[in-house]
Amino acid sequence: MNIVNIVVAYKYAPDPQEATVSSDGTVDFSRAKAVVSDYDAVAIGYGRRLATACGATLVGVCVGGPQSAKPVATKAALSRGLDRVVVVADDELETAGSTRTAQAIAAVVSQLGDVALVLAGDSSMDVAARMTPSVLAGLLGWPMLSDVETVALADGSAALERLTPQGVQSITVALPAVVSLTSEAWPVKPPGMKDLLAAGKKPVEIKSVADLGLTLADEGTVVSRAKLGGSARLGVVIDTSDPAAAAATLVEALRAAGALSEGGLA
Amino acid sequence: MSEDQFDFDVTVVGAGVAGAVTAYLLAQKGLSVALIDRGETPGSKNLSGGVLYCRSMTTVFPDFFDQAPYERRISRNQLVFMTPESSVALDYADERLHRGGTAVTVLRAKLDAWLAERCEEAGVMVMPGTRVDGLRIDQGRVVGVRAGEDELNCRVVVAADGVNSFLCRDAGLRPKPASNQLALGVKAVVKLPDGQLESRFGLAPDHGAALALVGDCTQGVGGGGFLYTNRDSCSVGLVLRLDDLVRQGLRSVDLFDHLLAHPLLERYLADGQLVEYGCHLVAEGGRAMRGQIVHNGLVVVGDAAGLTINTGFTVRGMDLAVGSAIAAAEAVAAAIAADDVSAAGLAPYETALDQSYVGQDMRTFAKAPHFMEGDRLYHDYGPLLADILFQIYHLDTSPRHRLMKVARSALKASPLRLTQLARDGWEGVRAL
Repeated sequence: MNIVNIVVAYKYAPDPQEATVSSDGTVDFSRAKAVVSDYDAVAIGYGRRLATACGATLVGVCVGGPQSAKPVATKAALSRGLDRVVVVADDELETAGSTRTAQAIAAVVSQLGDVALVLAGDSSMDVAARMTPSVLAGLLGWPMLSDVETVALADGSAALERLTPQGVQSITVALPAVVSLTSEAWPVKPPGMKDLLAAGKKPVEIKSVADLGLTLADEGTVVSRAKLGGSARLGVVIDTSDPAAAAATLVEALRAAGALSEGGLA
Repeated sequence: MSEDQFDFDVTVVGAGVAGAVTAYLLAQKGLSVALIDRGETPGSKNLSGGVLYCRSMTTVFPDFFDQAPYERRISRNQLVFMTPESSVALDYADERLHRGGTAVTVLRAKLDAWLAERCEEAGVMVMPGTRVDGLRIDQGRVVGVRAGEDELNCRVVVAADGVNSFLCRDAGLRPKPASNQLALGVKAVVKLPDGQLESRFGLAPDHGAALALVGDCTQGVGGGGFLYTNRDSCSVGLVLRLDDLVRQGLRSVDLFDHLLAHPLLERYLADGQLVEYGCHLVAEGGRAMRGQIVHNGLVVVGDAAGLTINTGFTVRGMDLAVGSAIAAAEAVAAAIAADDVSAAGLAPYETALDQSYVGQDMRTFAKAPHFMEGDRLYHDYGPLLADILFQIYHLDTSPRHRLMKVARSALKASPLRLTQLARDGWEGVRAL
C-alpha cells in the first residue's frame, strides 16, 4: 500500500471541565487550562494504528494562538503517537472559528502533499460546532465523512463504518478524504513516560499565517454571548443523616420539579 | 550501569517549587534532567497558595518580579486573635516590606506553570500527567523511577513529591508521619467584586495583606486560619492539626463555614464568589519530622524533607523549598561530576542545607511545633485580650479602672493563670 502521509487535525483548547459558570450564568474559560482533548486523542490513537499498519507518517496539524506552539502543547499531542506536528500559531488565529481554522489546515495539507487521509475527532471540546472537518473537505475538494467508527485503508480507497441514526453504514470511499471519528472509535489511554520522552525528540514545525500566504476569510463578528439560561437554583438542602430517607426526599423533590417521570428521567 | 543506559543524569519527581527549582538549576549546570509531575499540568495538584518569602527565589530568578506571576507584594501583616464576636489584631504595615519585595502572595497553579516553563527553556524534559509508582532500587542504590509499564534510568533521583512523599516512605527513609506532625489545610479562593479588594483591605495597588488568625477560627483545634490578598481575590483557609481535629471530633468543613461566618471575615469577603477550594496535608513537625534526606542515588527536597516552619506569625514552606533546591542542585551536580552519587558523595547536600538559612531557621524554630501544640493559645488568649480591651473601650458610665487592674480582673475571670501566662511567655520567647 502506498500511503505517504496521514494527517490528524487537533486543537489545543481550554478544558471545559475547568470552565466556571458564575451565579449569573456567565461562562468563564479564562482559568481553564488548555489540553489536547480526549476526542482528539481518539483521532491520534486511531491514526497511529493506521499509519503503523501501512508505513505512513502520522502528521498532527494544529491551528490556534501562540500557546498552541508551546512545548507543553506540542509534546502533549506528540506523546499521543504522532510522528511530527505542524502548528499554525498566530495571534490572528487565537479566536479563529471553523472557517479560518479549516483554511489554515487546508494550506498545511496542501504544502505537505501526498496526504491520503485527514482524521479529526468528534468535535472540539470548547466550541463543539462540528464544522471544521466539513469546511476543510470543502476547501480541499475532498469527500467528508462524519461519525466514523472504523477505517480500513486499501490502495487508493478506504472502507469505513459510519454510525447513523438509522444504524451502521458501510462505505467505500476514494482517497484522499476527510474523516471525523466518533468518541468511541479508539480506547484512549494516557501516554507513558517513554511516550513523553519520545515526544520531546520529535520534529515540530511552527508556521504563521504569513508563512502560509493565507488570506483569512471574514468570519463575522461575535456581538454578544447569551448567558447560560436554566431556572434559578431552588436552594433546597436535604439532610443526609438518614441516607434512605434522603434518597426518597430527593426523588420526591425531583418528581415535584418535573425532572422525573414515572419511567425515569424526563 | 554503563553510560548509555541512563535516560537522564537526574530525574526530579514533583514539579512544585522545590522540584522545579532543583531541575532548573541542574539543567543550567548542563545536566540532562527530567521533571515528572502527576498533574496534567504542573501545579494542578497543588493547593498551597500563600505567602512566598521570595529572597531566595530572586537569587535563582533575578527577573522574578518582572516575569513571575505573583499576586501582590505583602506590605501589611496582621496577627489576629479571634473570639466569636471579637478580633484583636497586631497590625503591622511597613513600606519597607513592599520596597524590598520580602514576600509575595502567589497562586500555585500559575506559579508552578511558570516555573515549569522556565525549566523547559533551560532544557529540562518536563513530563506532566505522569504518576511515578516507585523508585528503582538496585543493590541498595536508587537507579531510577517506575511509572506504569515504563522505567527511567538515571544517576540521581530528587524526591520532591511533597508532604506525603511516598518515594521516601517506600525507600524506608522516613516513617509515616505521626498525626501531630501533620495538619489538614483547607483553602478557598474567593473573588471579590471588581475594585473592592484594595479598599476593603486598605491597600495601594500591588500592595498586599496577610492575616494570620488564631483562636475561635479553629474553635480551639490546634492550628490557625489565614487570609491573604491576591490580585483580585482572597485566599482564605484553615490549617488544623490532625490529631487535635480527630480528638475533638470536629469536621473541617464545619470549622471552615464557622470561620467564614465570623464578622471580621464576613466583611472582608462579602459578595465574593468562590472560585476554587480544596484541602491538602501540611507538614507541621518541624526539624523532628525530617528523616533521612540523602541516600545512595537519592536526595529529598522541600515538603518531602519536612521543610516547613510555622511560628504563628509566619508560615513558611516555599522559601525553604527554594533553599533546599539550591543546596541540592549544587551537591548533585558536584557528585555527578565526581562520579560518586553514593550517600557519601551526596552528603554535602545535607551539610549545605544545615548551614544555609533553611537549616539555621529549622533549628531556631525547632521548639515552635511543641509550643504551638499548647491548647491555651487557641482557647484562652483571644477571650482574655478581648475582655481587657472591652473594659478599656466599653464606657458604660461605671467608674473606670487603671489598666493593670483591668488586666488582673480579666485574667482572674479567664481560665488562664498568671504562672501559665509567664510560662507560655517564656516558652514562646524561647520557641519563636
